[in-house]
Amino acid sequence: MGSIIGVLKNILCRMLQLLSFGKKTITNSLSVYVKISGGRTVAVDLDPTWDIKNVKEVVAPRLGLEPNEVKIIFAGKELGDKIKISECDLGQQSILHAVKVRGRLRTTLPPPSTSLIEDIDEQASKPLSETLNDTMFSNEDSSKSSSNIDDGSTNSGEGTNRTNVHFYVFCPTCKALKTGKLRVRCHFCKSGAFTVHSDPQSWNDVLEPKQITGLCENGSELCADILNNKEPTFAEFYFKCSEHTSLGEQDQAVPLYLIRPNLRDVPCLACTDVSDPVVVFPCTEGHVTCLDCFRQYCITRLTERQFWQHPEYGYTLACPAGCPDSFIKEIHHFRLLNDTQYAQYQRFGTEEFVLRSGGVLCPQPGCGMGILIDEGCVKVACINGCGYVFCRLCLQGYHVGECRSADTEIGANAEACSYNVDPAKASEARWDEASKVAIKVLTKPCPMCRTPTERDGGCMHMVCTRAGCNFHWCWVCQTPWTRECMGNHWFG
Amino acid sequence: MAGMSPSERRLQKELMSLIKEPPPGVSVDTNIAEQNLLHWVIHMEGAAGTLYEGERFQLQFKFSNKYPFDSPEVTFIGNNIPVHPHVYSNGHICLSILTDDWSPALSVQSVCLSIVSMLSSCKEKQRPPDNTFYVKTCNKNPKKTKWWYHDDSV
Repeated sequence: MGSIIGVLKNILCRMLQLLSFGKKTITNSLSVYVKISGGRTVAVDLDPTWDIKNVKEVVAPRLGLEPNEVKIIFAGKELGDKIKISECDLGQQSILHAVKVRGRLRTTLPPPSTSLIEDIDEQASKPLSETLNDTMFSNEDSSKSSSNIDDGSTNSGEGTNRTNVHFYVFCPTCKALKTGKLRVRCHFCKSGAFTVHSDPQSWNDVLEPKQITGLCENGSELCADILNNKEPTFAEFYFKCSEHTSLGEQDQAVPLYLIRPNLRDVPCLACTDVSDPVVVFPCTEGHVTCLDCFRQYCITRLTERQFWQHPEYGYTLACPAGCPDSFIKEIHHFRLLNDTQYAQYQRFGTEEFVLRSGGVLCPQPGCGMGILIDEGCVKVACINGCGYVFCRLCLQGYHVGECRSADTEIGANAEACSYNVDPAKASEARWDEASKVAIKVLTKPCPMCRTPTERDGGCMHMVCTRAGCNFHWCWVCQTPWTRECMGNHWFG
Repeated sequence: MAGMSPSERRLQKELMSLIKEPPPGVSVDTNIAEQNLLHWVIHMEGAAGTLYEGERFQLQFKFSNKYPFDSPEVTFIGNNIPVHPHVYSNGHICLSILTDDWSPALSVQSVCLSIVSMLSSCKEKQRPPDNTFYVKTCNKNPKKTKWWYHDDSV
């Protein structure tokens, strides 16, 4: 309810603003929202050349306060008076938070821990995403990171902020890889009126919950008391796409944290070109590929059905160099594939999940619906799918008694048909018949996972090529491979 | 280099570095490779002080457009197929980095070096024990063979 009222108020305020446009003329204006403690939101047009002091002058009267009684919070930091709007990583429709200064509380807080940030004066902070730099997030050696900070201090303020941190995200609105903005809110009440006690120093601090503590200005007592003071108030980090106008607080993006700026000019493992950004795999070596080769790697492994169904992460891949424990945790990285490829990824992933959970895939051509069934159940109906009712054992239409082979089934159907057609002609004239025959003649199902398998030479010892199955079986017996098979018919 | 696929770009670079700085005893047939970047022939000499000293071999590399995510198909060709416990008389090589242990971090050069070292460490010139059978039944493409790597010593 509160949010609806908030939205209505926004609209009202916007209209009022439009009516009173004659008062102040702002060129190149930036429309942002200011959220006031208590849930009210007001729309404000800012000039990028203003500093935060100007903002306070505009906002304070609306709160019924003096400008020096207001503090402005954005992206985990209280913004200092002298900071320019243009330095604040604000976009159209960004949301600033304005709260009343509570002088006493501040002194009881633990001091901000040492960070690489130059600002010693806490009052003069910039938002987090403006002060963090890439080096902190790429495990740079100390010599290099210190030189980078020098760069930062020399070109501070104007021009290109080369050292600003680069986050890459998958934006569900743009449906593409975009650069992202880091934002902070309270872990408990999700309010953005939150300041961090220390800056995140690594991706782990950002991605894992409860790493960084802070102060929630929305209701500090409330959020501190939530667990009877057993736990400090924690920050929660999230990301927004920096390439489209914010659609509100729910408009978030998924951080693709393996994609990083190529600060060290590391050549791609596969094509050996040096590109930027790159994918850094989560192995101890940190193997690097360019985005094109990452896509190529995914497509190659996907078509060979060599993705791995990981119990925690989902359908994923490991480092192409075969490093141990290097599975990609955040499967949104596969959104780098195009829509067709990603749809295939999703289909294969779902199929693998169903098979791994002991389910079956509906055998009706063009259906393939995954069905999870109880053990021992033989009659399977494709509910929510095509409605086909089939036998779990032979994957033919459901029947009573023993499974018949597919050949006799076709014969029986032809006889039952009242129209007299030569069965041989009829079977030749069927759509897809050639490929069905090919699959029937040339393949046998893996006894473990039933994947139709073709044997194109070699011995009778088969190894299922489906990732995660790798079952050793005998082409002749269609049972697990044994020493008897080896002795009797290894080579036919 | 523009307009080339990633696999071609990578192969072009590997070819250049192999021409410029070939490992000892290894040389690439540039005429063949320049006609078709996906098909190379590499001349290899048996290393001095080994059983293969003075012998000359030819290695054929076939690449798919998925290279280097897909391993190259590597066989000995020509008149002289080295007599070695891991080399079949049809030129197929039983070497794990050519199939299961392939990684895109490997290269033509590292494959050549592995083969040179595999030959060099040989103590007795002989064909694999199942040579006759394998050569009769195998697929033309050695990558279709499910190799059973059981001997890392030679």
